[in-house]
Amino acid sequence: MELLLARIFDGLSNGSTYAMIALALVLIFKATTLINFAQGEFAMFGGFIVLVLTFEQGIPMWISVVLAMFLTAVAAAGIERTLIRPFDPSDHLPLVIITLGLFLLVNAIAGIIWRFDPRAFPELFPSGNVFTIGNATLRWYTVFTVITLLVTVALLTLLLNKTKVGLAFRAVSSNLESSQLVGIRVGPTLQFGWAIAAAVGTLGCAVFVADPFRQIQPNVMLTVLIYASAAAALGGLDSLGGAIVGGISIGMVQSVVVPYSPIPNELALAAAVIVLMVVLLFKPSGLFGTAAVERV
Amino acid sequence: MANASATDAPSGPRWVFIKGSSQYRTYKLIGIAVLVLLLFITAFAYNDTASITLLDNDYKLGLTRITKAIAFMVAILGLQVVVGFTGQLSLGQGFFFGLGAYISAYLVQDKPLFGWNYFTALLVVVPVCFLVGMAFGLPALRIKGLYLALVTLGLAAIFPSLVQLESVAKYTNGAGGKIVDYDFKAPEWLPLDGIANFLQGIPLIGQYFGDGDLSSKEEGRIWLFFLMVILCWICVKLVSNLIQSRPGRALRAVRDNETSAAVSGMNLSYHKTMSFGVASALGGVGGVIYVAELGIAAPLDFTQLISIFFIVGLVVGGVGTLSGAIIGGLVIAFLPDWASSTQNLPVIPERWLQGPTGPLVMGFLLILLTFVLPGGIIAGVRRWRARFVQVVPEPPAKLAAQMAALAEGGAPAAEADDAATSETDVTATTVAAGDEPSS
Amino acid sequence: MSEPLLSVSNLEGGYGQIQVLRGFDFEVAEGEIVVILGANGAGKTTTLRAISGMIERSGSVKLNGEELITTRPADIVHKGVAHVPQGRGTLPELSVEDNLRVGAYIRKDNEVDSDMEQWFEVYPVLRERRNQRAGSLSGGEQQMLAVSRALMSRPKLLLLDEPSLGLAPLIVQDLFARFAQINKETGTTMLVVEQNAQLALGIADRGYVLESGDISFDGQADDLMSDDKIRKAYLGV
Repeated sequence: MELLLARIFDGLSNGSTYAMIALALVLIFKATTLINFAQGEFAMFGGFIVLVLTFEQGIPMWISVVLAMFLTAVAAAGIERTLIRPFDPSDHLPLVIITLGLFLLVNAIAGIIWRFDPRAFPELFPSGNVFTIGNATLRWYTVFTVITLLVTVALLTLLLNKTKVGLAFRAVSSNLESSQLVGIRVGPTLQFGWAIAAAVGTLGCAVFVADPFRQIQPNVMLTVLIYASAAAALGGLDSLGGAIVGGISIGMVQSVVVPYSPIPNELALAAAVIVLMVVLLFKPSGLFGTAAVERV
Repeated sequence: MANASATDAPSGPRWVFIKGSSQYRTYKLIGIAVLVLLLFITAFAYNDTASITLLDNDYKLGLTRITKAIAFMVAILGLQVVVGFTGQLSLGQGFFFGLGAYISAYLVQDKPLFGWNYFTALLVVVPVCFLVGMAFGLPALRIKGLYLALVTLGLAAIFPSLVQLESVAKYTNGAGGKIVDYDFKAPEWLPLDGIANFLQGIPLIGQYFGDGDLSSKEEGRIWLFFLMVILCWICVKLVSNLIQSRPGRALRAVRDNETSAAVSGMNLSYHKTMSFGVASALGGVGGVIYVAELGIAAPLDFTQLISIFFIVGLVVGGVGTLSGAIIGGLVIAFLPDWASSTQNLPVIPERWLQGPTGPLVMGFLLILLTFVLPGGIIAGVRRWRARFVQVVPEPPAKLAAQMAALAEGGAPAAEADDAATSETDVTATTVAAGDEPSS
Repeated sequence: MSEPLLSVSNLEGGYGQIQVLRGFDFEVAEGEIVVILGANGAGKTTTLRAISGMIERSGSVKLNGEELITTRPADIVHKGVAHVPQGRGTLPELSVEDNLRVGAYIRKDNEVDSDMEQWFEVYPVLRERRNQRAGSLSGGEQQMLAVSRALMSRPKLLLLDEPSLGLAPLIVQDLFARFAQINKETGTTMLVVEQNAQLALGIADRGYVLESGDISFDGQADDLMSDDKIRKAYLGV
């Protein structure tokens, strides 16, 4: 019983990160129906910026986080403007290829600058435990990860529903042409989407590696991206709420379901792939997605 | 019909060939002869680990690397099939590459039931990869969108863990990788020594072909190389036939057009899944070639990275072209290695030349080419070639007679035709009557 | 005679290889309701899309003397053009209220809310459904929403593409009566593309007839209504 509880706690903290990266993926997908395969690497780079700002520049960690979020947002906006916008949004192939190129590029740049030895990351959250029941420990880390997720979602919801640019973003996500017909400039609106997605991603990575048991290195987000994509697909690629549910669910699958299934623990990632396949077979639009899924 | 005769247009290509004419056949034959010559020269010149030194950097060439490139070519050929027929990208070709590698390594090394060699191993690898491909492709290809990319991304990521599992370690040898003791022995009757000596005797360039007779290892390498060239050629032929087959053309014609798809009456998802099966099988074949050359199947050779490198090869070579796969394979085999060999460049401090410079260059190329040369290197080559040579489809018999009459006065009338149709174009969506692709 | 609000000359445009509009001229004076009639495929919708910048076009499109032929769609809206496309163009995932609010996207004043209230007065059903997804509204309700949304931007020129399409006759009557009323009360200039010639000519000042991408007739609405050729071709007489 305690083991189950311990696993659930693990699932919650991992799931929160998956949810955040899934949020980033969904933000871009909603607006452009494109999956940004470089999202994880953007997040990783943002995480390294936090590291550099905190340890090398002596800036207080949470200010570094905000600063890093801002910087990655700006960078992503620049990338959208220069690398994404020139292409016809309905032609996916060149755009996917560009995101793959960015995947390689960003990962390689991080590898060249910071090498691949794992590094300790600032502890963003208080250490220690909330309580312990036998072998099951609820760490403050887990609690705060979930809180960060909830705060992120709340802010995002406010941003999208109560601001003009948020309205524009939702309009563009709904119907591009009609949005143009009311005077929304689509380019800058998409830039905004990319920027917010990058910022959320950076926060997600920072939270992930702030775990005292984890360290940051350039490949840290490779598997996270896959869990997050499965989460996003599960929740519905165009549903922000779905990303949350999907993220936590995938976290639970990884930590709680896999140990009790025939799948060996080293292959937990395979469980995410299986979930993805099941979603595609039975409900391709995901749990909460509205994207009209066209059969071939 | 345009009646501008080739001789009237001074800015047109210098040579215009009508398909089926004897001039055209000669042109084709010369092309093939040059290709075969190149293959022989490559095999014998680069037999040993040759290298070029530029700016204090040592760049390795070598037949082994070229044979590796052939493995990559076949894998990229598979990707051409996926993109050409389904319009979607697979990010998991590395999975099938690795699957083929490990299956053949196991069969050739452990010899269950009877003595396998790499070619009989193909009999297992091809169906297995095909079926696995179909299984994973079906849910994703039923639906429009980037789902295949998502699923295959996951596949590529789990492969290393898969082969390192306790339960399969006895077959795969876990983290250390499975070593295969297999020597390729060139058959006695091949006059390899004779050819080597002949080439060495050529004045001026003879020195590049080594010295004296070939060792058995060298002979084995050359033999392996030519065997794999043939295997690759067979794969190319098969894909080319697939492209020209009825379901192949139909699939390409409706691939991107929803309305035609809806009214075509074709079971699209079935055919797309089959295409992905073929693509996966080709990936597996590539893996077999890889292990045959390398002699070992190791988990870290088959990560997400190789899957994405295959995409780079696809794009750099030229999406939707068969010859693009050839170029792409060479790019993957040499570029990352040369990038890491580059330790000294004039302006750049050494610090910045260490680390994953290979992926850096590949990623940069991917982005650059999408902007500058979307059709890949092949597109560039074709455009350049179109300035000199143009191939024109055979006119129907009636017109041929008329033209024969006109031919008294000048060169035959040329109908403007893209030189691109002289090679099989997988992404062509119009399969018009005059567009008969030949391989 | 003051300059017309909208002045179009040698308008050419189409979709890729297919050039639908063959280069014609027309104008719309301020405060007018002008109707463009024609059969399917004549190029009516394409004309509106050319004006609002949604397709490749060439020639000249001047709004209050300002050339808009190379201006991007969103910027054209900023100049005072509102286009209600065929099929309404509502944003289905957004609420009715959000649809109206986004209609006022280009406005920077603080009367947006009061304008919205006005529209709720005109179309009470929109107020009822203000928080519902716009996609759940019926065809007629969506048309009310689309028109209200377009007018939320307080445009100088309103482009209406086949507003009667797919709507029940009673609703359409009401809709056109509303157009006439809006035009009278606010002076908003309207360019209406319609297949329902009777209804359209009933509220219009002038009309143009488009055939195969070119204008074949034009004239005062009353004259067109009584013209034999028009009556036979478009009024089913």
